[in-house]
Amino acid sequence: MKVDNSLPLEYSTEENNLKILGFWIFIGAEIMLFATLFTAYFTLENRTGNGPTGAEIFEITPVLIETILLLTSSFTIGLGIHAMRLNKKKATMGFFIVTLLLGTAFLGVEIYEFTHYVHVGAGLQTSAFTAALLTTLGTHGLHVTLGLFWGLSILIQIKKRGLTPETANKSFIFSLYWHFLDIIWIFIFSFIYLKGMM
Amino acid sequence: MKELFPLKQVMGFAFSLVLTVVALMVYFTDMSYTMGMTVLLITAFVQAGLQVVVFMHAGETKDKASIYINIYYALIIALFTIFGTLLVLVWDM
Repeated sequence: MKVDNSLPLEYSTEENNLKILGFWIFIGAEIMLFATLFTAYFTLENRTGNGPTGAEIFEITPVLIETILLLTSSFTIGLGIHAMRLNKKKATMGFFIVTLLLGTAFLGVEIYEFTHYVHVGAGLQTSAFTAALLTTLGTHGLHVTLGLFWGLSILIQIKKRGLTPETANKSFIFSLYWHFLDIIWIFIFSFIYLKGMM
Repeated sequence: MKELFPLKQVMGFAFSLVLTVVALMVYFTDMSYTMGMTVLLITAFVQAGLQVVVFMHAGETKDKASIYINIYYALIIALFTIFGTLLVLVWDM
């Protein structure tokens, strides 16, 4: 395997480069997945039937907490990749741990939010609006949940094997995924919550 | 310690917080629907672009062109899906 030492570890082999490009193509597919969910939501957001409207059930405080948590975690994973490029294993792991903790906190607030919705009578089967809302939020939440387990296994690999071209490549790809989830959240925050409460 | 916090990324984070505060204005102030949507569209897309360029290092390698073509393609499909559906099903044009 040809290792190019002039590049950061995660790009150092041809295989690593192709894996990163491949993941960008996967992100392209994910953009389209979330586009269909947003399409369904925008089409159905006024079909509330006998159920509540968005303005009636959305609460600004938990939404704002979720936004800050995810935005900060996106920043810390970026710092983790920066530390990785400086070949600082401990700092990389530290930033990964902070990122995963912030992600867990985000998930905790989102679970609270979901129980709140069900509590005020906005379950998955209440109306077309609640179905589209909970499916969109739930798909994002599921991605975050998956990301937490993924990030944790990469963290264990870095601890065991150190920063190698393989673990660096995996970490970088994970950071792409995590930033992508933050981007999706920005759109949920803007066009589901803020638009709904405007 | 300082080298762990590169200025570019710290500024990127600060700017994304500012954009979030600007977006929040549509909730805390009394804005018309058109005005509010304009603000949200601008803040959301600027913030997404910021993530891609500053944090995701999209333009760093020889694959830069492929990555951007792929993202623009996905974005076009996404916008066509959303606005095409809205045109037919909601705005009734």
